[in-house]
Amino acid sequence: MKLQATNIHKSFGSYKALEDVNISVREGSVFGLLGPNGAGKTTLIRIINRIIRPDQGELLLDGRPITDELVRTIGYLPEERGLYKKMRVGEQAVYLAQLKGLSRQEATARLGRWFRKFDISDWWNRPVEQLSKGMQQKVQFIVTVLHEPSLLIFDEPFSGFDPVNATLLKNEILELRRKGATIILSTHNMASVEELCDDIALINSSHVVLSGSVPQIRKSFSKNIFEVVVDDGKVMQLSPSPGQTGNELLSELMKQHTIISFRELLPSMNDIFVEKVTHNNPEP
Amino acid sequence: MNNIPLVIRREYSTRVRKKSFWILTIMVPIMLAFVYAIPIYMALRPMEKTVILVADESGLFGGFDRDDTKRSDSHFASSDEIEYRYAADFDYARRTMDADDDVSAIVFIRSRASEAIPTDACLYYKRDLPPMQVRSDVDRQLQRILRNRLLQAHGISDDEYAMITGTKINLRTQDLETGRETFTEVKTVLGIVLALLIYMAIFLFGSQVMRGVVEEKSSRIVEVIVCSVKPFHLMMGKVIGIALVGLTQFMLWVLLTGIAVVGIQLSNNDLFGVATQKHNITELATKGDDAAIQMQQAADMADLPQIVEGIASIDFGVIVPVFFFFFVFGYLLYATLFAAAGAMSDTDTDTSLFSLPVTIPLLAVILLLPTMIDSPSGTLSQVLSIVPFTSPVAMMLRVPFGVPLWQLWLSMALLVATFPLCTWLAAKIYRTSILRFNILAKFRLKKSM
Repeated sequence: MKLQATNIHKSFGSYKALEDVNISVREGSVFGLLGPNGAGKTTLIRIINRIIRPDQGELLLDGRPITDELVRTIGYLPEERGLYKKMRVGEQAVYLAQLKGLSRQEATARLGRWFRKFDISDWWNRPVEQLSKGMQQKVQFIVTVLHEPSLLIFDEPFSGFDPVNATLLKNEILELRRKGATIILSTHNMASVEELCDDIALINSSHVVLSGSVPQIRKSFSKNIFEVVVDDGKVMQLSPSPGQTGNELLSELMKQHTIISFRELLPSMNDIFVEKVTHNNPEP
Repeated sequence: MNNIPLVIRREYSTRVRKKSFWILTIMVPIMLAFVYAIPIYMALRPMEKTVILVADESGLFGGFDRDDTKRSDSHFASSDEIEYRYAADFDYARRTMDADDDVSAIVFIRSRASEAIPTDACLYYKRDLPPMQVRSDVDRQLQRILRNRLLQAHGISDDEYAMITGTKINLRTQDLETGRETFTEVKTVLGIVLALLIYMAIFLFGSQVMRGVVEEKSSRIVEVIVCSVKPFHLMMGKVIGIALVGLTQFMLWVLLTGIAVVGIQLSNNDLFGVATQKHNITELATKGDDAAIQMQQAADMADLPQIVEGIASIDFGVIVPVFFFFFVFGYLLYATLFAAAGAMSDTDTDTSLFSLPVTIPLLAVILLLPTMIDSPSGTLSQVLSIVPFTSPVAMMLRVPFGVPLWQLWLSMALLVATFPLCTWLAAKIYRTSILRFNILAKFRLKKSM
């Protein structure tokens, strides 16, 4: 499912949460929504979910304006997520699935499969407050994806997960993409952005300050530094002289050494994030 | 798609399955049944035989007569429950009481040389205070004997005396149109009970709405819910679900209390049979039926408990529907406002601050209740029972006394009309606050800036 947001504006009183935000999410891609705390990511996500209305701008899902009916094809795992503590796990999961339009039988059948997959079937009849945080996260994830949404929005999905469960979650997200879902991932975890995202948009102080595909962005932030490993095991970091291409540098090196590997050192998303955000918010 | 029914079902089923719901449901009728049964039990309780010694120094109360043909008009008369025995003097009586466990008290009538007629007597007891019935019996006997002595001394015959004391004017309070007797005390008590019930119900179930909202907010589930349910639907689903819980509870209370009361009535058939009979006679008597008037006098002599008679005179056919109407709409009016107050709070402790403005009208009525009790049809009562925010409580105080129909309809119409207005306001506050945290802190910050 393709998502196109054009010229989105949203203010809360005098505070401008989003200004002229444009993003485009390709069908079947994983889209990273990045930005420091308070940049406006959650506001944008809430607008996509129709929890709040934009003051201005247009939002299209597969070329059509989003309606309440279409919102049902979205699965949303908010950053601030919780469950009714006193309710039983299974009952609660069925309730949340019913709110998404599944019948009781269908919800119960699908939940049964997911609970077995995540190995939490024993917890079906326990009250939520007895579950560990990690198990609650699993339940929340299941509830988000249960109605097989074609657009999934995960807001900080990895926060609070231990490495084992984070890996499990990562694999599930990739699996969902393989099945054709479009995924929006809002996160501070830059390693997972490099690992999972095809495209990103970086929001800072209510504006989109950077967007594009991950390899492209990294390429555009290239400092033109190459890492060279030669046969005696020596590792060198070299920059071509002005006007010199990478190939020319390599052929020059080949005259002196036997080259084992030669690759361009691209900045990590983390470096780009820090550079972009501190550049935009200069210290006073 | 409308998810209100799903929300209502969740709110209803999670609450009705709680243990606390059933404990409250069962405890209240049991308590009410006790309140109802205790006076009846007290009235009917068979007494143990009590032995009382009479030490009469004056001789006026039969103290010096040693013959067995005691005349009942000048002696203490024993009954099934109380046996009076005469003692020669107080010391003897005291020794007897110490020796004999059956003796539970001594009536000592002191004689003073300066007085022809003794002016005081004392009931001495050991260990347990004698029951009320015993004390009043002793008192009655003392007054009776003294009176008989005085009548004798002044040469008034029993017939003359009966004629004088038997002639009296009976004052009743009665409605000019319906001819029903008023029983002001019983109706006042009923009015207060109904008013307090509505007040407590609004608080109890209104604060349940508020806590439910805060629970969703503080557990952070609300964002998951509002992407499937419109905030207004979520709020209304909660309000209606809890209303149904409240109605279920009240119905069960009425039903269980009814069963308990009928059970008590059936097991004490005599008392209630006479009460109903008397009530019917009273109605006939007001229509000028001579035979009925005589019967009523006979019934009056039977000295029935006024409360039982008063209860029988109340028109529950009007009170019950009116109660449920004001319960439902009073609750709905306040519940949406409580929901808004909850939406602004992050934690349960915040709610006390945000709910204060909501509860002020309710607290005002309760504070004005004593003034209204004095005059249930006065101007204050009329105004408060018509203004929508105070009418649910104020009207219940008035209803047992009968309220002019136009006032009742006006009050109900205003209440129904205010409800959408309130809901609109509450929904606005709810929608904008439910996903915002730290409203209180931000508010304080703004003020300090």
